[in-house]
Amino acid sequence: MSRINDVGGQSGFGLVAVEPDGPPFHADWEARVYALNVAMLRRGVYNLDQFRDAIERMPPAEYLAASYYERWLVGVESLTASAAPELRPDDG
Amino acid sequence: MAEPRFAVGDRVRARAVDPSHHTRLPRYARGQVGEVVEVQGTWPLADDRAQGFAEPRIEPVYTVRFPAGALWGPPGGHWVQVELWESYLEVVA
Amino acid sequence: MTGHHSNSEIAVRVRRLEERLIGAGLTSDDQLDGIIGQILSGSPANGARVVARAWVDPAFRERLLVDANRALDELGLSMSTGPQPQRLTVVANSATTHNVLVCTLCSCYPIGLLGPSPSWYKSEAYRSRVVREPRAVLAEFGLVLPEATEIVVHDTSAESRHMVLPMRPGGTAGLGEAELAALVTREGLIGTAAV
Repeated sequence: MSRINDVGGQSGFGLVAVEPDGPPFHADWEARVYALNVAMLRRGVYNLDQFRDAIERMPPAEYLAASYYERWLVGVESLTASAAPELRPDDG
Repeated sequence: MAEPRFAVGDRVRARAVDPSHHTRLPRYARGQVGEVVEVQGTWPLADDRAQGFAEPRIEPVYTVRFPAGALWGPPGGHWVQVELWESYLEVVA
Repeated sequence: MTGHHSNSEIAVRVRRLEERLIGAGLTSDDQLDGIIGQILSGSPANGARVVARAWVDPAFRERLLVDANRALDELGLSMSTGPQPQRLTVVANSATTHNVLVCTLCSCYPIGLLGPSPSWYKSEAYRSRVVREPRAVLAEFGLVLPEATEIVVHDTSAESRHMVLPMRPGGTAGLGEAELAALVTREGLIGTAAV
Protein backbone atom coordinates (compact mmCIF):
# COMPACT_ATOMS: atom_id res chain seq x y z
CA MET A 1 0.00 0.00 0.00
CA SER A 2 2.87 2.35 -0.70
CA ARG A 3 1.80 5.89 -1.31
CA ILE A 4 2.57 8.33 -4.06
CA ASN A 5 4.83 10.45 -1.83
CA ASP A 6 7.33 7.57 -1.44
CA VAL A 7 9.36 8.33 -4.57
CA GLY A 8 12.91 7.33 -3.58
CA GLY A 9 14.44 5.47 -6.51
CA GLN A 10 11.49 5.86 -8.88
CA SER A 11 12.22 6.69 -12.48
CA GLY A 12 10.49 9.02 -14.88
CA PHE A 13 10.56 12.39 -13.10
CA GLY A 14 13.15 13.86 -15.43
CA LEU A 15 16.00 16.23 -14.76
CA VAL A 16 16.17 18.40 -11.65
CA ALA A 17 15.01 21.92 -12.49
CA VAL A 18 17.53 23.98 -10.57
CA GLU A 19 16.38 27.42 -9.51
CA PRO A 20 19.41 28.77 -7.67
CA ASP A 21 18.01 31.99 -6.25
CA GLY A 22 14.30 31.29 -6.22
CA PRO A 23 12.22 33.32 -3.79
CA PRO A 24 11.06 31.41 -0.68
CA PHE A 25 7.42 31.87 -1.64
CA HIS A 26 6.27 32.40 -5.22
CA ALA A 27 2.94 34.00 -4.26
CA ASP A 28 1.37 35.53 -1.14
CA TRP A 29 -1.02 32.62 -0.81
CA GLU A 30 1.90 30.21 -0.43
CA ALA A 31 3.14 32.12 2.60
CA ARG A 32 -0.41 32.21 4.04
CA VAL A 33 -0.84 28.45 3.63
CA TYR A 34 2.53 27.90 5.25
CA ALA A 35 1.51 30.10 8.18
CA LEU A 36 -1.93 28.50 8.56
CA ASN A 37 -0.34 25.08 8.79
CA VAL A 38 2.21 26.17 11.38
CA ALA A 39 -0.54 27.86 13.40
CA MET A 40 -2.63 24.67 13.42
CA LEU A 41 0.40 22.54 14.38
CA ARG A 42 1.34 24.88 17.22
CA ARG A 43 -2.21 24.89 18.49
CA GLY A 44 -2.33 21.10 18.37
CA VAL A 45 -5.31 20.95 15.99
CA TYR A 46 -3.32 18.13 14.40
CA ASN A 47 0.29 16.96 14.45
CA LEU A 48 2.96 16.88 11.76
CA ASP A 49 2.44 13.20 10.93
CA GLN A 50 -1.31 13.70 10.55
CA PHE A 51 -0.49 16.54 8.17
CA ARG A 52 1.91 14.37 6.15
CA ASP A 53 -0.68 11.59 6.15
CA ALA A 54 -3.38 13.91 4.81
CA ILE A 55 -1.15 14.87 1.87
CA GLU A 56 -0.05 11.30 1.17
CA ARG A 57 -3.67 10.19 0.93
CA MET A 58 -4.26 12.46 -2.06
CA PRO A 59 -5.10 10.45 -5.19
CA PRO A 60 -1.77 9.98 -7.02
CA ALA A 61 -2.81 11.88 -10.14
CA GLU A 62 -3.92 14.85 -8.04
CA TYR A 63 -0.78 14.72 -5.90
CA LEU A 64 1.46 14.82 -8.97
CA ALA A 65 -0.55 17.59 -10.64
CA ALA A 66 -0.56 19.81 -7.54
CA SER A 67 2.18 22.29 -6.74
CA TYR A 68 3.99 21.93 -3.44
CA TYR A 69 1.94 24.45 -1.44
CA GLU A 70 -1.24 23.35 -3.18
CA ARG A 71 -0.68 20.00 -1.48
CA TRP A 72 -0.31 21.83 1.81
CA LEU A 73 -3.59 23.60 1.16
CA VAL A 74 -5.30 20.24 0.59
CA GLY A 75 -3.76 18.97 3.84
CA VAL A 76 -4.87 21.91 5.98
CA GLU A 77 -8.33 21.99 4.41
CA SER A 78 -8.96 18.31 5.01
CA LEU A 79 -7.67 18.33 8.60
CA THR A 80 -9.72 21.37 9.58
CA ALA A 81 -12.90 20.52 7.68
CA SER A 82 -14.87 20.29 10.92
CA ALA A 83 -13.65 23.64 12.28
CA ALA A 84 -16.44 26.13 11.70
CA PRO A 85 -16.66 29.77 12.70
CA GLU A 86 -18.03 30.21 16.21
CA LEU A 87 -21.63 31.35 16.22
CA ARG A 88 -22.04 34.73 17.84
CA PRO A 89 -25.35 35.51 19.58
CA ASP A 90 -26.39 38.03 16.91
CA ASP A 91 -25.89 35.45 14.19
CA GLY A 92 -29.26 34.11 15.28
CA MET B 1 10.90 3.73 25.66
CA ALA B 2 13.30 1.17 27.07
CA GLU B 3 17.00 0.90 26.39
CA PRO B 4 17.84 0.91 22.67
CA ARG B 5 17.79 -2.63 21.35
CA PHE B 6 20.54 -1.91 18.82
CA ALA B 7 23.97 -0.31 19.09
CA VAL B 8 26.32 1.39 16.66
CA GLY B 9 27.91 -1.24 14.44
CA ASP B 10 24.96 -3.68 14.62
CA ARG B 11 23.66 -5.11 11.39
CA VAL B 12 19.90 -4.74 11.13
CA ARG B 13 17.24 -5.54 8.58
CA ALA B 14 14.46 -3.09 7.76
CA ARG B 15 11.21 -4.99 7.96
CA ALA B 16 9.63 -6.12 4.71
CA VAL B 17 6.24 -4.66 5.58
CA ASP B 18 3.75 -2.61 3.60
CA PRO B 19 1.44 -0.83 6.03
CA SER B 20 -1.74 0.84 4.84
CA HIS B 21 -1.20 3.77 7.22
CA HIS B 22 1.38 6.57 7.17
CA THR B 23 4.91 5.34 7.82
CA ARG B 24 8.42 6.74 7.63
CA LEU B 25 10.02 3.54 6.40
CA PRO B 26 10.79 4.24 2.73
CA ARG B 27 9.84 1.49 0.31
CA TYR B 28 13.37 1.19 -1.09
CA ALA B 29 14.80 0.25 2.33
CA ARG B 30 12.27 -2.48 3.15
CA GLY B 31 13.81 -5.92 3.56
CA GLN B 32 17.33 -4.50 3.19
CA VAL B 33 20.26 -5.03 5.55
CA GLY B 34 22.23 -2.08 6.82
CA GLU B 35 24.48 -1.02 9.67
CA VAL B 36 23.56 1.21 12.60
CA VAL B 37 25.79 4.30 12.53
CA GLU B 38 24.03 6.42 15.16
CA VAL B 39 21.50 6.05 17.95
CA GLN B 40 19.64 9.36 17.83
CA GLY B 41 17.50 9.31 20.96
CA THR B 42 13.80 8.62 21.28
CA TRP B 43 10.80 9.97 19.38
CA PRO B 44 7.09 9.18 19.22
CA LEU B 45 6.49 6.65 16.46
CA ALA B 46 5.32 8.49 13.33
CA ASP B 47 2.89 5.70 12.41
CA ASP B 48 1.09 6.07 15.76
CA ARG B 49 1.12 9.87 15.68
CA ALA B 50 -0.36 9.92 12.19
CA GLN B 51 -3.28 7.84 13.43
CA GLY B 52 -3.91 10.28 16.26
CA PHE B 53 -3.16 7.79 19.04
CA ALA B 54 -3.27 9.53 22.41
CA GLU B 55 -0.21 7.63 23.59
CA PRO B 56 2.04 6.91 20.62
CA ARG B 57 4.86 4.45 21.24
CA ILE B 58 8.10 6.24 22.13
CA GLU B 59 11.00 4.49 20.44
CA PRO B 60 14.69 4.91 19.72
CA VAL B 61 15.48 6.20 16.24
CA TYR B 62 18.59 4.90 14.50
CA THR B 63 20.60 6.16 11.56
CA VAL B 64 21.13 3.10 9.39
CA ARG B 65 23.57 3.02 6.49
CA PHE B 66 22.78 0.92 3.42
CA PRO B 67 25.18 0.20 0.52
CA ALA B 68 23.63 1.56 -2.68
CA GLY B 69 24.45 -1.64 -4.54
CA ALA B 70 22.14 -3.59 -2.21
CA LEU B 71 19.29 -1.10 -2.73
CA TRP B 72 19.53 -0.54 -6.46
CA GLY B 73 21.83 -3.19 -7.84
CA PRO B 74 25.04 -2.42 -9.73
CA PRO B 75 27.02 -0.25 -10.00
CA GLY B 76 26.40 0.94 -6.42
CA GLY B 77 29.34 2.88 -5.05
CA HIS B 78 27.60 5.21 -2.62
CA TRP B 79 25.84 4.96 0.73
CA VAL B 80 22.30 5.86 1.68
CA GLN B 81 21.62 6.69 5.32
CA VAL B 82 18.04 6.41 6.53
CA GLU B 83 16.60 7.28 9.94
CA LEU B 84 14.44 4.48 11.22
CA TRP B 85 12.33 3.88 14.32
CA GLU B 86 13.14 0.73 16.29
CA SER B 87 9.99 -1.12 15.30
CA TYR B 88 10.98 -0.77 11.64
CA LEU B 89 14.04 -2.93 12.33
CA GLU B 90 14.82 -6.55 13.14
CA VAL B 91 17.93 -8.46 14.13
CA VAL B 92 19.95 -9.97 11.31
CA ALA B 93 20.38 -13.64 12.16
CA MET C 1 6.09 22.52 -10.92
CA THR C 2 3.05 24.61 -11.60
CA GLY C 3 -0.29 23.36 -10.35
CA HIS C 4 -3.38 22.60 -12.36
CA HIS C 5 -5.37 25.31 -10.64
CA SER C 6 -4.73 28.95 -11.43
CA ASN C 7 -3.02 31.09 -8.85
CA SER C 8 -6.08 33.29 -8.42
CA GLU C 9 -8.42 30.31 -7.85
CA ILE C 10 -6.08 28.99 -5.19
CA ALA C 11 -5.67 32.41 -3.60
CA VAL C 12 -9.44 32.55 -3.16
CA ARG C 13 -9.49 29.10 -1.58
CA VAL C 14 -6.71 30.10 0.80
CA ARG C 15 -8.53 33.27 1.78
CA ARG C 16 -11.68 31.27 2.51
CA LEU C 17 -9.73 28.79 4.61
CA GLU C 18 -8.04 31.59 6.48
CA GLU C 19 -11.35 33.31 7.25
CA ARG C 20 -12.85 30.05 8.44
CA LEU C 21 -9.95 29.24 10.78
CA ILE C 22 -9.75 32.77 12.15
CA GLY C 23 -13.53 32.72 12.57
CA ALA C 24 -13.26 29.46 14.49
CA GLY C 25 -10.84 31.14 16.88
CA LEU C 26 -7.93 28.88 15.88
CA THR C 27 -5.58 31.62 14.73
CA SER C 28 -5.42 35.33 14.03
CA ASP C 29 -4.03 37.69 11.40
CA ASP C 30 -1.33 38.80 13.82
CA GLN C 31 -0.25 35.25 14.51
CA LEU C 32 -0.08 34.42 10.80
CA ASP C 33 1.97 37.53 10.05
CA GLY C 34 4.29 36.63 12.91
CA ILE C 35 4.82 33.10 11.61
CA ILE C 36 5.65 34.40 8.13
CA GLY C 37 8.09 36.90 9.63
CA GLN C 38 9.79 34.13 11.59
CA ILE C 39 10.23 31.83 8.63
CA LEU C 40 11.60 34.63 6.47
CA SER C 41 14.20 35.37 9.16
CA GLY C 42 15.65 31.93 8.49
CA SER C 43 18.29 32.15 5.80
CA PRO C 44 21.21 30.25 4.29
CA ALA C 45 23.28 33.12 5.72
CA ASN C 46 22.69 31.55 9.16
CA GLY C 47 24.18 28.28 7.97
CA ALA C 48 27.05 30.14 6.33
CA ARG C 49 27.91 31.80 9.66
CA VAL C 50 28.04 28.40 11.33
CA VAL C 51 30.28 26.99 8.61
CA ALA C 52 32.68 29.95 8.68
CA ARG C 53 33.02 29.66 12.45
CA ALA C 54 33.73 25.94 12.13
CA TRP C 55 36.42 26.67 9.54
CA VAL C 56 38.28 29.11 11.78
CA ASP C 57 37.70 27.47 15.17
CA PRO C 58 38.52 23.74 15.38
CA ALA C 59 37.06 23.43 18.89
CA PHE C 60 33.77 24.90 17.70
CA ARG C 61 33.83 22.49 14.75
CA GLU C 62 34.19 19.61 17.17
CA ARG C 63 31.28 20.82 19.31
CA LEU C 64 29.17 21.39 16.18
CA LEU C 65 29.64 17.83 14.98
CA VAL C 66 28.84 16.40 18.43
CA ASP C 67 25.83 18.56 19.38
CA ALA C 68 24.82 21.00 16.68
CA ASN C 69 21.88 22.52 18.56
CA ARG C 70 24.14 23.54 21.44
CA ALA C 71 26.74 24.92 19.02
CA LEU C 72 24.02 27.05 17.35
CA ASP C 73 23.23 28.55 20.77
CA GLU C 74 26.78 29.89 20.93
CA LEU C 75 26.09 31.94 17.79
CA GLY C 76 22.65 33.07 18.92
CA LEU C 77 20.98 30.83 16.33
CA SER C 78 18.32 28.19 16.84
CA MET C 79 16.28 25.50 15.14
CA SER C 80 13.02 26.63 16.67
CA THR C 81 11.56 29.20 14.28
CA GLY C 82 9.84 26.57 12.09
CA PRO C 83 6.77 24.46 12.83
CA GLN C 84 8.45 22.84 15.85
CA PRO C 85 11.90 22.83 17.48
CA GLN C 86 14.16 20.41 15.66
CA ARG C 87 17.30 18.42 16.32
CA LEU C 88 20.12 19.33 13.97
CA THR C 89 22.90 17.02 12.84
CA VAL C 90 25.83 18.50 10.94
CA VAL C 91 27.73 16.17 8.61
CA ALA C 92 31.21 17.16 7.50
CA ASN C 93 32.62 16.73 4.02
CA SER C 94 36.25 15.65 3.79
CA ALA C 95 38.83 14.90 1.12
CA THR C 96 37.37 11.39 0.90
CA THR C 97 33.64 11.83 1.71
CA HIS C 98 30.90 14.04 0.26
CA ASN C 99 27.48 14.34 1.93
CA VAL C 100 24.22 15.29 0.26
CA LEU C 101 20.76 15.70 1.80
CA VAL C 102 17.29 14.70 0.66
CA CYS C 103 13.87 13.80 2.02
CA THR C 104 12.41 11.12 -0.24
CA LEU C 105 9.11 10.88 1.66
CA CYS C 106 8.22 14.58 1.85
CA SER C 107 10.49 17.62 2.05
CA CYS C 108 12.14 17.73 5.50
CA TYR C 109 14.74 20.50 5.67
CA PRO C 110 16.33 22.61 8.44
CA ILE C 111 13.79 25.32 7.74
CA GLY C 112 14.13 26.88 11.20
CA LEU C 113 17.76 27.74 10.48
CA LEU C 114 17.97 28.10 6.70
CA GLY C 115 14.47 29.36 5.82
CA PRO C 116 12.23 27.73 3.22
CA SER C 117 13.90 25.13 1.03
CA PRO C 118 14.48 25.70 -2.70
CA SER C 119 11.84 24.39 -5.12
CA TRP C 120 14.17 21.81 -6.64
CA TYR C 121 14.74 20.25 -3.20
CA LYS C 122 11.00 19.54 -2.98
CA SER C 123 10.69 18.23 -6.54
CA GLU C 124 9.96 14.58 -7.34
CA ALA C 125 12.90 14.66 -9.75
CA TYR C 126 15.42 15.43 -7.01
CA ARG C 127 13.78 13.28 -4.32
CA SER C 128 13.51 10.21 -6.53
CA ARG C 129 16.92 10.37 -8.17
CA VAL C 130 19.52 11.57 -5.68
CA VAL C 131 19.28 8.43 -3.51
CA ARG C 132 19.82 6.24 -6.56
CA GLU C 133 22.20 8.16 -8.82
CA PRO C 134 23.78 10.95 -6.76
CA ARG C 135 26.74 11.39 -9.10
CA ALA C 136 24.50 12.08 -12.07
CA VAL C 137 22.32 14.50 -10.09
CA LEU C 138 25.33 16.35 -8.64
CA ALA C 139 26.80 16.65 -12.13
CA GLU C 140 23.60 18.40 -13.23
CA PHE C 141 24.30 20.94 -10.50
CA GLY C 142 27.79 21.34 -11.93
CA LEU C 143 29.45 19.37 -9.16
CA VAL C 144 31.67 16.62 -10.54
CA LEU C 145 33.38 14.68 -7.77
CA PRO C 146 36.51 12.55 -8.13
CA GLU C 147 35.69 8.86 -8.66
CA ALA C 148 37.44 8.02 -5.41
CA THR C 149 35.21 10.34 -3.34
CA GLU C 150 32.70 8.36 -1.31
CA ILE C 151 29.18 9.83 -1.47
CA VAL C 152 26.80 9.54 1.47
CA VAL C 153 23.16 10.44 0.76
CA HIS C 154 21.21 11.30 3.92
CA ASP C 155 17.49 10.58 3.62
CA THR C 156 15.87 12.70 6.33
CA SER C 157 13.15 10.21 7.20
CA ALA C 158 12.66 10.92 10.93
CA GLU C 159 12.61 14.08 13.04
CA SER C 160 16.25 15.17 12.86
CA ARG C 161 17.32 17.73 10.31
CA HIS C 162 20.73 17.93 8.69
CA MET C 163 23.18 20.44 7.34
CA VAL C 164 26.39 19.80 5.42
CA LEU C 165 29.66 21.32 6.57
CA PRO C 166 31.55 21.88 3.31
CA MET C 167 35.34 21.76 3.11
CA ARG C 168 37.09 25.10 3.34
CA PRO C 169 38.22 26.09 -0.15
CA GLY C 170 41.93 26.45 -0.84
CA GLY C 171 43.47 29.90 -1.09
CA THR C 172 41.32 31.36 1.69
CA ALA C 173 43.95 31.54 4.42
CA GLY C 174 43.89 35.34 4.56
CA LEU C 175 40.10 35.72 4.82
CA GLY C 176 38.18 36.73 7.93
CA GLU C 177 35.10 34.95 9.21
CA ALA C 178 32.60 37.23 7.46
CA GLU C 179 34.44 36.91 4.15
CA LEU C 180 34.51 33.13 4.53
CA ALA C 181 30.78 33.07 5.29
CA ALA C 182 30.14 34.95 2.04
CA LEU C 183 31.65 32.02 0.12
CA VAL C 184 29.09 29.53 1.43
CA THR C 185 25.97 28.89 -0.66
CA ARG C 186 22.65 27.27 0.19
CA GLU C 187 23.54 24.46 -2.22
CA GLY C 188 26.80 23.95 -0.33
CA LEU C 189 24.80 23.46 2.89
CA ILE C 190 22.61 20.82 1.19
CA GLY C 191 25.53 19.16 -0.59
CA THR C 192 24.68 19.92 -4.22
CA ALA C 193 27.62 22.32 -4.42
CA ALA C 194 31.16 21.96 -3.07
CA VAL C 195 30.84 25.11 -0.92
